[in-house]
Amino acid sequence: MERIYLGEFEELVLLVVAVQQGEAYGVGVMEALEDEANRSVNISAVHAALRRLESKGFVKSEWSEATAERGGRRKRLFSITQEGSMALTQVRDVRVNLWRQIPGFSPNISFG
Amino acid sequence: MSSPDHHPPRWADRFLEWYCKPELLEEIQGDAYELFYKRVERSDPKKAGRRFIWDVLRSFRLSTIKHLNFKLSPDMLKSNFKIAWRHLFKQKLFSAIKIGGFALGIAACLLIALFIRDELRYDQRYQEKDRIYRLLGVMNDEGDIMKGVHFPAPMAKALIEDYPEVETAGRFLSSELFGAGSREVRRAAEQQNTFESGFIFADQELLDILEIPIVQGDPKKALAQPNTVVISQSKAEKYFPNENPVGKELVLDNNGEEPLTVGGVMADFPKTSHIHPDFLMTMAGREFWPGEQNFWRANNYHTYVRLQPDANPEQLEENLMGILEKYVLPAQVAAGNVDAEKTLKKASFELQPIEDIHLYSENIHDRLTHGDIRFVWMFGGIAGFILLIACINFINLSTAKSANRAKEVGLRKVVGSYRSHLINQFLTESVLFSLLSFVIGLTLAWVLLPYFNQLAGKQLVIPTNEWWLLPLLLVAAVLIGLLAGLYPSLYLSGFQPIQVLKGKFSRSGKSSKMRNVLVVFQFTTSIILIIGTFVIYQQMNFILNKKLGFDKEQVVTLQGAGTLGDRTKALKEELLKLPSVENATLSDYLPVVGTKRNGNGFWKEGKTKEESPVYGQMWRVDHDYIETMGMKMVAGRDFSVAMPTDSQAVIINQTLARELGLEDPVGKRITNSGFVSEVIGVVEDFHFENMKNEIEGLCIAITDQPAAISVKLNTSDMGAAIDNLTATWDRFAPNQTIRYEFLDDSFALMYSDVKRMGQIFTSFAILAIIVACLGLFALSAFMAEQRSKEMSIRKVLGASVPNIFRMLTQGFLTLVLIALVIAVPLGWYLMKKWLQDYEYRIEIGWEVFAFAGTIALLIAVLTISYQAIRAATDNPIKALGQE
Repeated sequence: MERIYLGEFEELVLLVVAVQQGEAYGVGVMEALEDEANRSVNISAVHAALRRLESKGFVKSEWSEATAERGGRRKRLFSITQEGSMALTQVRDVRVNLWRQIPGFSPNISFG
Repeated sequence: MSSPDHHPPRWADRFLEWYCKPELLEEIQGDAYELFYKRVERSDPKKAGRRFIWDVLRSFRLSTIKHLNFKLSPDMLKSNFKIAWRHLFKQKLFSAIKIGGFALGIAACLLIALFIRDELRYDQRYQEKDRIYRLLGVMNDEGDIMKGVHFPAPMAKALIEDYPEVETAGRFLSSELFGAGSREVRRAAEQQNTFESGFIFADQELLDILEIPIVQGDPKKALAQPNTVVISQSKAEKYFPNENPVGKELVLDNNGEEPLTVGGVMADFPKTSHIHPDFLMTMAGREFWPGEQNFWRANNYHTYVRLQPDANPEQLEENLMGILEKYVLPAQVAAGNVDAEKTLKKASFELQPIEDIHLYSENIHDRLTHGDIRFVWMFGGIAGFILLIACINFINLSTAKSANRAKEVGLRKVVGSYRSHLINQFLTESVLFSLLSFVIGLTLAWVLLPYFNQLAGKQLVIPTNEWWLLPLLLVAAVLIGLLAGLYPSLYLSGFQPIQVLKGKFSRSGKSSKMRNVLVVFQFTTSIILIIGTFVIYQQMNFILNKKLGFDKEQVVTLQGAGTLGDRTKALKEELLKLPSVENATLSDYLPVVGTKRNGNGFWKEGKTKEESPVYGQMWRVDHDYIETMGMKMVAGRDFSVAMPTDSQAVIINQTLARELGLEDPVGKRITNSGFVSEVIGVVEDFHFENMKNEIEGLCIAITDQPAAISVKLNTSDMGAAIDNLTATWDRFAPNQTIRYEFLDDSFALMYSDVKRMGQIFTSFAILAIIVACLGLFALSAFMAEQRSKEMSIRKVLGASVPNIFRMLTQGFLTLVLIALVIAVPLGWYLMKKWLQDYEYRIEIGWEVFAFAGTIALLIAVLTISYQAIRAATDNPIKALGQE
């Protein structure tokens, strides 16, 4: 099995992209991180994470139509790729597996 | 929604557009705009603008910035280095001058940086240094501000009791008058006395405030008991090797009845401390006269405080005025001082942070030796200028040599080099030069450090075991290399290929103007340094040769005679029997700094209630003092053994007579702390303090308990005379080594700081001139080379050697003359400022500038001549026959 390098923050961002399938872009992801994970980050950190994910092939991007709220600029919309979802699954499996091995701990852990 | 009224800050937006990769720009900029508009709606536009700026700055990452054209590829770098290396060896003379000048500048900078670092490290070691202050008393006498550090004995106690914001307060007393300073020391069981200095009296609280580490004994109680002493570790090892000194006894000045018990051993005071005592004698249970510890009218104690963490020092300074009202004023009034209220109106307090003591005590009379922030700035400035001069050499030589590189630049451009490549190449070259210079400069600094230490009176070491040293030097080398290489690289890379390849390369124009300006700058700096050196030397000579009012030659002072008690007079008689001894006198007060001093108020008799006192010194001497010291009586008579009433009489100096308003002082009576004495004579004013200060009032009276004997010799064989003195001394005090000082030596020592300044200035002036001359030499070589054909043709057509010599030199000499014109007023102004420190000073005459100008011109002519003469006497065939 090939090892997958996915940082903790990258994993979060990738999850958000998966949730917002096709509609994810910088500001949207940043706000989701704030709302869902209660993490306030700078927009540049989100951009950097998205760029890294794209170079790893976990997300792909396309341009939206021009929007007025951005001064006529287009959004770069991200969606998760096949490799991306496989990476997410793999990471989750590793974790669940480990959780199960903790002695005296309930195995019924749900990932929402 | 977008709000058209608000825009993100334009510069931030532009900055983003400037650095961002085009393929990322739309996304990053779009998101930043979107966030900005959202924030404008939610909060105020200013805040949104700040957040926008922050976003832009945070987005500035390696992954987002454009790849600049001069990306450092290892291959390019290698090639650039190779080319630079070749050029270095192709032009050996020029390279040597560039690197040599640079190295000299860097060595000077390194040494000065070490010096400054040391100065700035003083009193930085305290954990609570933000809360530790030295108390200053300020007297504002109609704008004439005097700051002092001495306070009455009960001050510290009052501070602790009356001011809750003062956590603790402690004192030390360093006056020789009370037995601090230097003493003869021995262990209780031994006989042999050893001379030691560095005695002070101190409170237990001072150990706590100054965070003095106690290595043996109880830090909380080391000075708590009466007659205890805390000694430094080095003294502990000297007197109690391999034993625990705590509880052991030391005897001072042979006084076996009152030995001191060692209460603790402290770590030696670091060099970077403003005081360096070795013996702290406790103040516990000590009173120098009955009631002294509650006496508010004598200022003798240095007082330090540590404030509560939340205390406001400015507020406390104001509140301290309460001390004056509560204690000082009543004490003065009770003593009958009618002017007390008026005087105290002029007084106030200041709290000086402990870390400021070393560098910011310029106008504070504390009798400590410390640095001066102005010197730190001045040295920093000199270092900067020398480095600048070296950089200018580099710039000048690089641009001057541009003709040789022009073809290379043209060809490189033709085969497709970008300008940025060329800039990169030239910068690499200058960084290489800078790195080499740093290596040489560092070596030079290392070699010169011992001499510099001697010069500056320091014990500096290169901090080789600090982790930051190497990275710092490396960064500095690269930065300086880039800085010096910037202009040449821009200039050289800007050539038009067509022009230079056609051979139409003009040397004149902008670059030579720039070069001229830089040469003028170099020489201005050098000339100012020459002027400074000259003025400092003149002032020093003035001081050392000024008529002092006493004769300092052939006077030897034997210290430590106090241990002999009543036998001092017998010793004096014995000494007088020696053939080489002309005269001898018993007194601790000598007309050089560092001997006993005091402060007293004087009045005309009966005027103590009506008039404010005149402050001055009260010296205790014996009958032969004035004669031995070669002082001159201007009125009345000297003390006489034949007049028993003289024990109650005094002699005053001219200043005291003037300040007391006594027109004919002889026979008048003056009052000093309750005693009324008759003035029997007036002695001519003599300098007994540093010439930075005015001569103070002085009153001389007879004593019978001195600790020093001064002997006036009259001999040409000084060695034999000293041998005789020693033999006589050994008969009287076999257990105490003779300790003598020549008065003229002590006098010279007083001005060692002026001397030191002079030497440092000279060294750096010479250095600056050498570096500037190196540049001038290379520049003249270049000019001679450039104009060799022109000169040869002139010669063929009949120009004489002097003609050609003049043509080649006059351009440079004009530059030096311009520099002189700029340097003279600047130097005059700066040196005037410096001289203001001295109450007795020289006037800066025109000869200073004439001298500096002549030297500068002479050096410049000598530097240029070599090349000019060579060019003028060369056979014209050589230059013309080449084509």
